[in-house]
Amino acid sequence: MSAVAVARETGARLANAEALNATLAWSQAALDAEAARVDALPGRGALHAMPIAVKDNIVTTDAPTTCASRILEGYVSPYTATAVERLRTAGAMVACKANLDEFAMGSSTEHSAYGRVKHPLDPARVPGGSSGGSAALVAAGVVPAALGSETGGSVRQPASFCGVVGVKPSYGRVSRYGLVAFGSSLDCISVFGKTVDDAARVLQVMSGPDPLDATTKAGRAPLAAPAPPADLKGLKVGLPKEYFPSDLHPGVRAGLDRTIKALRQLGAELRDVSLPYSKYAVPTYYIIAPAEAAANLARYDGVRYGRRKVGPEGDIRALYRATRGEGFGAEVRRRILVGTYVLSAGYYDAYYRKAQTVRALIAQDFQRAFESGVDLLLTPTTPTPAFKAGEKTDDPVQMYLADIFVCAISLAGLPALSLPVGRDGGLPIGAQLIAQDFAEARMLSVAGVLERVLGATEEVRG
Amino acid sequence: MNIGPDGVLHVAKLAEIGVDEHELPRLVEQFNHIVDYVAQLDDVPSTAKAVPFLAGPEATPLRDDVVNPAALARPPAAFAPEFADGFFLVPRHGAMEDL
Repeated sequence: MSAVAVARETGARLANAEALNATLAWSQAALDAEAARVDALPGRGALHAMPIAVKDNIVTTDAPTTCASRILEGYVSPYTATAVERLRTAGAMVACKANLDEFAMGSSTEHSAYGRVKHPLDPARVPGGSSGGSAALVAAGVVPAALGSETGGSVRQPASFCGVVGVKPSYGRVSRYGLVAFGSSLDCISVFGKTVDDAARVLQVMSGPDPLDATTKAGRAPLAAPAPPADLKGLKVGLPKEYFPSDLHPGVRAGLDRTIKALRQLGAELRDVSLPYSKYAVPTYYIIAPAEAAANLARYDGVRYGRRKVGPEGDIRALYRATRGEGFGAEVRRRILVGTYVLSAGYYDAYYRKAQTVRALIAQDFQRAFESGVDLLLTPTTPTPAFKAGEKTDDPVQMYLADIFVCAISLAGLPALSLPVGRDGGLPIGAQLIAQDFAEARMLSVAGVLERVLGATEEVRG
Repeated sequence: MNIGPDGVLHVAKLAEIGVDEHELPRLVEQFNHIVDYVAQLDDVPSTAKAVPFLAGPEATPLRDDVVNPAALARPPAAFAPEFADGFFLVPRHGAMEDL
């Protein structure tokens, strides 16, 4: 099929999916321009004519980048993210900019200034977040793959809720150049795929050192996921006991039990392991990420970007406060305030320094687990299936706990993915595979085997 | 810990974020709820230590100390609210407040 034909079909699917509120910017004209560009490329790239949705905190020069925030309303970047440049060079087409929680802060995509995203299987429920628009578009079959971003689980959690594959690479695997900064020591451009292969192909193209991002790692083997093997003999998978509490949701437990059974049948060896400091991952994350956000979001002051509001006193400080007070939504303001507080004199040691210590302990737990001989870890991705819209918006801490099984991996900078492994009441359940630093290839390969075995079952297809 | 309205307003001032009066009671309640929640890190013994975790490569890669032109599709003037003669325009500086 020609790129032009793909662009036309994608446009029709995007139009049909408007009710999801999953897109912030798209047009048939822009899609046609992408198709013309792809057809003019000298050869067929690895992602020839693949339409990809891009979370709207990843910048492009040909569409606004709002981060789903009023403060960036109308802002168009003067440069394009390295990840997007690489996808385009490989023949991919940017299909649309996808809705998100404002500045990627949230777990339900209810914190978008442009309205909440609806779950494709049940509009009364949330698709997860913060990359909920990207997840919903892949789950609804609008695009085969989408870019999201992870700071503390913002791709794996919505992938689990929506029943698609979500892959977070190792920190430093993919350039952050052009990803709007939230928590710079945590942020990773990540990917959703309808299948493991779709996600792996996109990740492979995006990966690699970038002179424009000093935190990308040079000298590492390029990512190349081998074809899934026939069985998993010799593979050792760790089951961290802290991630399987006695009160785990029965539907989630059933999905994990099915995955464990499949791993055993394929010849893998399952071992119990312990990650004792993971229980502190959510509070640690909600000190470190807001602290970094408070610094990163200081740049939105009404002077250099988008929206400006002059305060009643008419001076520069009044401008800052009026612009930021009105331009940021409630969740972003809360996090900036918490971040400012934990960094302030008198509280820095008690909160921020302590959180850095616990982060190191969490990372050390993972290192010890892998040193004990396991190749991968298996956990639930989320404690429950997708919850109802409005269920957690009044209690920020309850919302934060939706990320209880994904936060620790982000703090440790490790790669992980969520794979659909079952359904509960029609809603998808995801299992999480976690690998050692820069060991994505094996993780993707094992996920491919599980997908082949589990994906064919009625429990997963629903 | 109980942080009252004045404490939250002080933090908002440090963060340069205006807070509407009608929003303040709810913000104070949620702010305290979050701070109380993260304070559970106090339970981690101070004797527990690990090698500090650093995201990214072991050493920052160095590059040649040369100025390269930024490949921008449009100049800063195109997206700043007010811009003239190479400068961002802002209102006057008021008297520095006592923080």
